[in-house]
Amino acid sequence: MRVAAVKSHHLQAAGLALWGLVLLRASSDGRLDLLLREVFHPLVSLAGLALLIWAVALVLPQRHRQAPAAPGAATPQQWRLSAATALIALLLIALPPNPSFADLAQRRPGDDSSEAELAFVLPPAQRSLTDWVRLLRTQSDPRLYVGDPVRISGFVLPRADGPPLLGRLLVRCCLADATPIGLPVRWPSDQPLPRADQWLQINGEMAVQQGAEGEELVVIPQRITPIRRPARPLEP
Amino acid sequence: MPLSTAWALFQGLLIEALPFLLIGVLISALARWLAPGGSWLRRLPTHPLLGPLSGAALGFALPACECGNVPVARRMLVGGAPLGSALGFLFAAPVLNPIVIASTWAAFPDQPWLLMARPIGAVLVSLALCLLLRLIPEEQLLQSDVLAERRLNQPLSTVNLLQRRTGLVGVPGGSGTAVEPSPTPTPRPPLQEVLQHGGREFLQLALLLVAGCLLAALMQTLLPRQWLLALGSSPTGSVLALMALSLVISVCSSVDAFLALSFAAQVTPGALLAFLLLGPVIDLKLAGLLGLLLKPRGLLLATAGAGLSVLLIGQWINLWLL
Repeated sequence: MRVAAVKSHHLQAAGLALWGLVLLRASSDGRLDLLLREVFHPLVSLAGLALLIWAVALVLPQRHRQAPAAPGAATPQQWRLSAATALIALLLIALPPNPSFADLAQRRPGDDSSEAELAFVLPPAQRSLTDWVRLLRTQSDPRLYVGDPVRISGFVLPRADGPPLLGRLLVRCCLADATPIGLPVRWPSDQPLPRADQWLQINGEMAVQQGAEGEELVVIPQRITPIRRPARPLEP
Repeated sequence: MPLSTAWALFQGLLIEALPFLLIGVLISALARWLAPGGSWLRRLPTHPLLGPLSGAALGFALPACECGNVPVARRMLVGGAPLGSALGFLFAAPVLNPIVIASTWAAFPDQPWLLMARPIGAVLVSLALCLLLRLIPEEQLLQSDVLAERRLNQPLSTVNLLQRRTGLVGVPGGSGTAVEPSPTPTPRPPLQEVLQHGGREFLQLALLLVAGCLLAALMQTLLPRQWLLALGSSPTGSVLALMALSLVISVCSSVDAFLALSFAAQVTPGALLAFLLLGPVIDLKLAGLLGLLLKPRGLLLATAGAGLSVLLIGQWINLWLL
């Protein structure tokens, strides 16, 4: 039996459907939380859906009077294009991202923006690491916060000139523009320093220590708990 | 470990850019369906200055970032729009659109000079590039498939039958004589044909985007961004460093102002503007997409011209503000 030649628009539909699946898969398996700022998530889902609809529309039988000329069999170039698309789409679906935040942060300059994004100041125990960093930028006298309770989480961010910080990544758009922020921690002297990239929850209180540029706030941990990377590790 | 980080960066760049690419292709397909002959494109001015300015102004009507702009600019070129208008749109519209202007204002509300300088700078860079690329004949500037389709849509007063490779024998053309295009309006193509054309375009551009994102992700992982910023201590060094950073980081023009905000305090004002001007015109992610329109010679000239004009603008801003 002779197998009918694959039409070019069938290959196109398959390619579009694969890209649609990549975007919908990324929207459903949680990887967008790791890659993009939340405001872009609906756009990705809508684009995935639109590509799937487009693919279906291409293979639907034509009922219009003004139908285009029947598409020919797929050319070798179209086969190559489709094979490359399929390979990339399958790799994207099969291999979810697993970045090292510490590695990424070490290749980036620290966030230096001074804008206050806090609408109001939360009680100390409810402040996230990002809230603390932003609060210190607007009210930089560290002595104001000595003794405040701290409950923060973040990843261990090594630095060249001192013990590691507890860090977070701020993202404006996607992981490519991530910039690190961090708070100094007085790590327990009787234990080895935590490994880079480890996510920790720290309960403790704020104190002041002498840093390279004068007095700085430092977290004195009372309890350090290793945790899994949160589902939404990026901060806006 | 760097490989897994590069893979994540690649996915971040690609997944963020694909919806914008789709928007651009959809706008292009819609234009092809609604105005099949593209006659309005041919009415755009051909004047060396007014052409690029009219193209740049279209950015306000078609707000898309630089990835989405490429298919629209391609549609303009193949539809027979004057070269200056299409290139003016390609190079200036990623900045001259409401979304980008609003995001720049949101990121730098206390720096009104930047809000003015960014669109003005984008127009100047676009004008410079259009004037520069006019020096190359279209045959040597545009990719063959773009040129072939463009020839079919250009009026016979600007292109002859040999260049078109089709037409009626006996109809004069190519000698500068004003000849009206055929009065028969081009029929609206079937929707299925528009979908097939757009689908082919999306798949082709998506693969080029993949290559650009891969290159940008590898460069970002292998090259510490601090090296670039460390170069930025001198006025000229800072402009050059931020230009290099914008090439490597390849971030979308609708959000690059927020990224620039994070290092604005560490660099000179000219360098900050250079970062915001160069990225929307050329970066590693865009190189493949632009290669679909321009031949390597044109792409190289555009890159060099954009670099030089952005450097000059950055230097001038540093002289003015420092």
